[in-house]
Amino acid sequence: MAIINQATKELQVKIVYYGPAKSGKTTNLEQVHQNVQVPDSAAKGKLTSLATSSDRTLFFDFFPLEAVAIKGFKTKFALFTVPGQVIYNATRQIVLRGVDGVVFVADSQYDKMEENVETFKHLEENLKTMNLRLEDIPCVLQYNKRDLPDAAPVDYLDFVLNNREVQLPTFEASASKCDGVFETLNMITRMLLHKFLNNGVRK
Amino acid sequence: MGQFPALNQSDLEHFDTVLDELLAKSEADIALLVEKAGYLIHQRGSQHEVDTTTFATLGSNAYNAVHFMAQLVNESNFTSMYQQGEKFSTLMLNVEENSILVLIFPTHLTVGSMKYFAVPAAKALAERVALAAGRDPGMGIDLSDMDAADVQSALFQKGK
Repeated sequence: MAIINQATKELQVKIVYYGPAKSGKTTNLEQVHQNVQVPDSAAKGKLTSLATSSDRTLFFDFFPLEAVAIKGFKTKFALFTVPGQVIYNATRQIVLRGVDGVVFVADSQYDKMEENVETFKHLEENLKTMNLRLEDIPCVLQYNKRDLPDAAPVDYLDFVLNNREVQLPTFEASASKCDGVFETLNMITRMLLHKFLNNGVRK
Repeated sequence: MGQFPALNQSDLEHFDTVLDELLAKSEADIALLVEKAGYLIHQRGSQHEVDTTTFATLGSNAYNAVHFMAQLVNESNFTSMYQQGEKFSTLMLNVEENSILVLIFPTHLTVGSMKYFAVPAAKALAERVALAAGRDPGMGIDLSDMDAADVQSALFQKGK
C-alpha cells in the first residue's frame, strides 16, 4: 500500500497494469514514458522492461513518475505491468504486492474475450491471496485496440467485463496511437487521490 | 501482510547512523532500505552512480520471487539473497515483514563479511521500523482540509 515519508514529504503509490497477453499493457507504459510532459527530467524515471527475447514481458515493466506536489507532498507513482501469459501467474502475484490501484487493460477483439474474462478472474483471485477485494482498491477498465476492425462493441465489453453492482470506470483506447492512454492514467491517479482524501493514506 | 509505517526525521537520522556505520565497517559502496512492494525508503553511500530507484524495485521483486520459491519447497523463508558479479556483488537481506536491506559491494569483499556486518544492521533497522509502527500506526497525510475539486484536474498531460 502507499508509502508516506513525513520526513522527506513524499507519497509513493503503486499502480499495476493488469490484463491478458498482448493486450497492450507495456504499450501503455511506453506511451506514457514517451509522451508525458514533466517539469524537469528528474520527474520521469527510466522505463525498465524485463522481457523475453521476443519482447514478451517476463517479470514486469516498471516506470517511476512524479506528479505535482499535493499539499507539499511530492507524489511518486510507480507504474508496473504484469506478464500477460497465464504461466506467469506466480509472477503476477509478486508484482501485485502492495498495489494501490489497478488498470485492467482488456483486448477489445472478439476472439480475446475469453482471455479477458479469465485474466480478470485471476486478478480477483490474486488479490484475494493478499486479503484484498477488487472493491477495496481503485480500478479502471481500459478497452484497448479500439482501432482494430474486429473490435467488439463497448456495450458487449461492458456486459462481459463490467457487469457488476458498482461499475468500474471504462476508457476506450488505442494505446499504440496513444489514444486513451493518458485518460486512463489520469482517472486511476484521480481515484487514488480521492481514496486518500476520503480515507487518509494509511487507514 | 502489514504495512510499512510513516517515518519522521528522527527515523531517517537513525537509518543514516545505522547505514553509515554498516558502510564504514563492511566497506560496501551502497546500502538501500527497500520496501517489499518496490519502494526505495532510504539510501546511503555512493548512490549517485547507480539508478537506485530501479535497483530497489528490481531487488525487492527478485527477493519476493525467492521468498515465493521458498514457500514452494515448504521453507518458511529464505532470509537473504546473494549475487556475485565480476566487479560488484549484491546482498539482499530481510529486515522485517515489509522491508529488505540491499547492499552493493566490490566483489573482492566476501559475502561472509557482508553478512557479518549486515545482520546486526538489519536488526537495528527492524527495531526502528517497529518503533515507528508503534508510534502512530494511523498517521498519514492530513487531507481533511483539501477539496475534492483539487484533484479533479488531470495530473499528467500528454506532450505535443
